[in-house]
Amino acid sequence: MMATTLLWPIIFPAVMAIVLFLIPAKIKVVREGLAVLSSLVLLYLGFSLFSIKSLTLKTDWLGMGINFDLRLYQFSAFILLALAGFLFLITLYSAIKMKDHPRSREYYGYVFLAAAFSNGAVLANNFILLVFFWEALLITTYALITLGLKSTSHRTAVKSLLIGGLCDFSMIMGIGLVWASTGTLTMSEVHLEPHGLTAAAFILMMIGAIGKAGAMPFHTWIPDAALDAPVTFMAFMPASFEKLLGIYLLARISLDFFELKVGSPMAMVLLIIGAATIVLAVFMALIQKDFKKLLSFHAISQVGYMILGIGTAVPIGIAGGIFHMINHAMYKTGLFLSAGSVEHRAGTTELKKLGGLAREMPWTAFGFSVCALAISGVWPLNGFVSKEMVFHGALETGYPIFAIAAWVGAIFTFASFLKAGHSVFFGPRSTEVPKTKDSEWPIVLPILILAVLCITFGVYNKLPLENFIQPVVAGQAEPGQHLDFTAGALNLFTPVAGVSMLCLLIALGLHFYGWNRGGKKAYLASEPIHHLPVLRQLYDLSEARFFDIYEQGIKFLVWLSKILFKFIDRPIDFIYEKAVVSIGRFFTVLFQKAHNGQYANYLAWTIGGLIAVVWVIVELLQ
Amino acid sequence: MVFSFIFLPLLIAACLPLIGKVSKKLIPDVLTNAALAFLLLNSILLIKPVFTRGSLLQNITWFGENVNLQVALDGFNLFMLFTIALVSLCITLFSIDYLKHYGYQANFYALLLVMVAGMNGLVLVPDLFSVYLFLEVAAIASYALVAFGLGPEELEASFKYLMLSVVASAFVLLSITIIFGLTGSLSFQAVARGLQDLDGGGLIIGICLAFFIMGFGLKAALVPFHAWLPDAHPSAPAPISAMLSGLLIKVSGVYALFRFIYSVVGMTPALSKVLMAMGTISIVVAALLALGQNDIKRMLAYSSISQVGYIILGLAIATPLGIAGGLFHLFNHAVAKGLLFLNSGSIQHITGTRNLNELGGLGKKVPLTAGTNLIGALSIAGVPPLAGFWSKLIIIIALVQAKHFGYALIAVLASILTLWYYLLIQRKAFFGPLNDRWLKIKEAPFWMSAANVILALLCLLVGIFFTPVFKIWISPAAEALARGVQQVLMWGI
Repeated sequence: MMATTLLWPIIFPAVMAIVLFLIPAKIKVVREGLAVLSSLVLLYLGFSLFSIKSLTLKTDWLGMGINFDLRLYQFSAFILLALAGFLFLITLYSAIKMKDHPRSREYYGYVFLAAAFSNGAVLANNFILLVFFWEALLITTYALITLGLKSTSHRTAVKSLLIGGLCDFSMIMGIGLVWASTGTLTMSEVHLEPHGLTAAAFILMMIGAIGKAGAMPFHTWIPDAALDAPVTFMAFMPASFEKLLGIYLLARISLDFFELKVGSPMAMVLLIIGAATIVLAVFMALIQKDFKKLLSFHAISQVGYMILGIGTAVPIGIAGGIFHMINHAMYKTGLFLSAGSVEHRAGTTELKKLGGLAREMPWTAFGFSVCALAISGVWPLNGFVSKEMVFHGALETGYPIFAIAAWVGAIFTFASFLKAGHSVFFGPRSTEVPKTKDSEWPIVLPILILAVLCITFGVYNKLPLENFIQPVVAGQAEPGQHLDFTAGALNLFTPVAGVSMLCLLIALGLHFYGWNRGGKKAYLASEPIHHLPVLRQLYDLSEARFFDIYEQGIKFLVWLSKILFKFIDRPIDFIYEKAVVSIGRFFTVLFQKAHNGQYANYLAWTIGGLIAVVWVIVELLQ
Repeated sequence: MVFSFIFLPLLIAACLPLIGKVSKKLIPDVLTNAALAFLLLNSILLIKPVFTRGSLLQNITWFGENVNLQVALDGFNLFMLFTIALVSLCITLFSIDYLKHYGYQANFYALLLVMVAGMNGLVLVPDLFSVYLFLEVAAIASYALVAFGLGPEELEASFKYLMLSVVASAFVLLSITIIFGLTGSLSFQAVARGLQDLDGGGLIIGICLAFFIMGFGLKAALVPFHAWLPDAHPSAPAPISAMLSGLLIKVSGVYALFRFIYSVVGMTPALSKVLMAMGTISIVVAALLALGQNDIKRMLAYSSISQVGYIILGLAIATPLGIAGGLFHLFNHAVAKGLLFLNSGSIQHITGTRNLNELGGLGKKVPLTAGTNLIGALSIAGVPPLAGFWSKLIIIIALVQAKHFGYALIAVLASILTLWYYLLIQRKAFFGPLNDRWLKIKEAPFWMSAANVILALLCLLVGIFFTPVFKIWISPAAEALARGVQQVLMWGI
């Protein structure tokens, strides 16, 4: 196959974005049809490129080592395929969900543009090219959030742009350091031992990657976006695309660009960020009263598992992290889509107002239940497999504390999904929602496909593990060691699996305790934990955005600008306003008085000037 | 072809008073504009031959006999010819509608064409006496034009202008005489050779130069020889103000002075120092004076003095970049100041006043006049991407390159002053609440607006396509001048 085929996944969606953007707003069906068709074409392209697995395209671009360099190999082909798959499901879903959106023209344009940039970022084999596509994604993210059309949408969009920009800036600095120490910008030629300056480069680039994936503390725009952005965007960006891209880059950084050793300081940084993200975000998720917001905190919490997995730096952990990435993208997209389906029919996502929808929306309820069980790590779904791998990896590092953090996360993940599912689909039928039926098939089908995939990837985990994951981490294995993660993947009778099952039981117990205490109201099931002595204060602070670095940063900047205004700006302004103006005025008046209109006066100046010029020239001559 | 720049306007000027007896308006309008359009076309057509051959030298012949009048054309004066033809064409277009309330179109055009002929001649001739001759031709036409309105103010201004100009001319003539006495010739080349062969006499040449600086400096309105200009320029009809400020002070002042310096005596560090100091004083003093004015045209007149200071500052750096910057600013200022004076004519035509304190809020009523005014003002004040920004930037870069950091700083700060008083015009005339007196005003007539728009577009397009304009047009002219820098001088310091 020709090397220029590599341009197709970038150029085709970009062209389609323009086409979809130009189709007049009145023509409805054609646009949706075209969007779904082109996403199918991309999916086909993803499959055919995945079957090739190895292809490079390199032409000069900007000079100075900045080439237009694309590289398709095992890992990028896998991500490319996954991206195309999610794009197809989401466009299919949007065909109904976004049909009546007043700016649906823009929506499709931005989605396909984002797909083009994402494909470019995945294929890029030059750091500058990567940054180009990576940064461009910020713009489409910004635009898509504003399509939420809420009064706070723009504010959230700016927040995402600033946080993303900060992370990307950090990545650019990291790339600069890498460039300084290796002298090349070609990604496949970089392999560094992280110490000193290169350790700083690792940290800086890592911030760029985990910032995109939405790890703490760069996550704060996601819960805001859950309420302010269209739900399809949440399924599209934070749930699938950004996770795939962010973790892809993190894996590239930790496996290819740098040599991450087990228990090294760099690995510890990743482990700590991962563990903190899991625990803190899951505690926030637990108490949410809104379906979409609850999901958005889980989107953050689950990133922790991926980072933790990669941070273990042992093959099984890394494989678990990457496997968790694809699993998470599937069930979280499924969950957001089912939340969207509920919103589509019931008109709200507030847990308090919902209840007992399972009878009227059986397919959505089924899809949600499978995905929720998968995210909670219930045997034998895909979440179980990848989480077990992460637990094993965490234990292998020799720091059981990280495995414990991951288990704590598992407890509350399950507890919060019990609460969510119980409030929305089961329990008594809510009186606030009028009688309804299940959503149209383009909405239900993607959810069901994802649910089936969750089951497949769990029960038949050989398929993804052998095809996608094992080749990626093959380089991490000791020479001669044979990698096989599938053998005991579904074994329930190991100590690790036992602890995991115990966690699920604890979660079940917690849920029913809280449900009983809350007067059999499912949405109050988390209240006992919410009201624990210390946690309660922390929750209050968190609700007041005390821990949000963005909000605190904004507060600091406002304070700083006030200080600067008072003590620097005003005094300088005084100098301009008073001193400069009055001096200027003084001379203006002085000169004006001299111009009294008398010819003799003017003639005198002329002669005086002549004498002065003669004098100066004569002086200079001597 | 080259002689047509002098004789065509003279010929038409001679016929116009007679034609005026027959046709009051139409024929003079058409004839004048056609003549100037022809000159503009001619100057464009000459670009190629001049750039390929370097320079052209022509003698005029009369039935096979040489008449003692020679013209020389190189990149520098072709550039000036083009500028003169372009700006004066816009000015005569503007006059079609503007002169209705003055009457005597034919006489007006005749005088204007004499002035154009004088400027073209001054630019073309390669000998000192002809320079003086054409200097006076242009000047006399301008005295008459300043007094064209025949009111007491106009007459006073014209008289003052005449009396000061005569002093300047006298010193220029005196200096030419001395040089003729020293070298025995008048043509630039012969004088340059003669001065190099001269032993001693540095002092006398220095004094001659001082006379030239005073004489041409008065024509260019350098401070302290500037006092006639703020009276003369505002008194004249708007097209003539545009002509005087846009072209005459540059041709008979800046061009003549620097042609003499670069082509005859050569630029020396001492001369450079004196001229840069004078340019800078002009920039600052005139900018401060402009700030205190209430009459738009007076403010513009002071601004002309200030901007001529920039041109002289650029040309006096004596580096190729400085010369190019000075010339580029000369062109940009000619276009933008022409535009602003014409625009002030539009304002006067629309409202009947030029007093800034009486105007206000015109922007909503006359958007075309307001918009073109804004473009011209921002161009002169040096706001990107307009043409004036680039020329000022080049001058400042040239100053920094030549290590004149103090001058560079003053140039930057003074451009803030420039922006200040131009924004004053904008605020007082076009923005703010509409003065009730102007509720019924209408946009200026077609030709007036057309001239404004053409010049505003030039400011904009030259700014946007600055690189090709600068490379193709300004640099060759600057190179033609810069050759004079290397000229070794016997009296050199």
